[in-house]
Amino acid sequence: MVEQLKFSGVGFVIGILSGLLGVGGGIFLVPILVTYFEVTQHVAQATSMAVIVPTALVSSAVYGFHGNIDVSLALNLVIGSILGASLGARIMKKIPAFRLKQLFGAMLIVVGFRMVLG
Amino acid sequence: MSTILIVFAMGFGAGILSGLLGVGGGVVMVPMLVFILGVAQHMAQGISMLVIIPTAVVSIWQFHKDKLVNYQAAICLAGGAVVGALISANFVQYVPANLLKQIFGVFVIYSGVRMVLSTRKK
Repeated sequence: MVEQLKFSGVGFVIGILSGLLGVGGGIFLVPILVTYFEVTQHVAQATSMAVIVPTALVSSAVYGFHGNIDVSLALNLVIGSILGASLGARIMKKIPAFRLKQLFGAMLIVVGFRMVLG
Repeated sequence: MSTILIVFAMGFGAGILSGLLGVGGGVVMVPMLVFILGVAQHMAQGISMLVIIPTAVVSIWQFHKDKLVNYQAAICLAGGAVVGALISANFVQYVPANLLKQIFGVFVIYSGVRMVLSTRKK
């Protein structure tokens, strides 16, 4: 029971962040599951995906209700990202992501500063 | 036609990157929508939410076959997350676009720093 309450509490915080940012929130949830709930990395990633679906359904309904979804644009992105995601998962097993992570991480930092500084 | 190609390439790029780097597609997709297509911040986040759903379903199917999903934890987490998302997704509609962009920017920086640091623990 206590464990279930802890999960719900963590979920609540993740849901707040997810709705605020329009992202899945896996980047926050996976480390929490690994660090505090002693789940393995793989189970944490898989479980976080299962949490993202209902959360994103609720969020996108709210965004859509407020007129903030361009459906045709979204559909095109969906087709591309499903193909891309399955391909990415396959490539992932073949190349070491080490350098790529460093490069891409640096790029994200630059992009983030551009957004903050407008 | 060219817009459709660009959009498809963006979805493809976001999908590949999220699979490859272990980040969600949102952190990649929202800045692309904002900077490349000039979509407003709120709209970009809304679209990102919608795109995440089918992409996540495809991934879960793979994970489910490998028996990696802890459903008992997921149900409690999702219950809390749905309530949290209902509150914040409604609240965020009243946040000015510029401020939201800055908040999102902080999240992008955090994601980038995490990614760089994750390569050092090996």
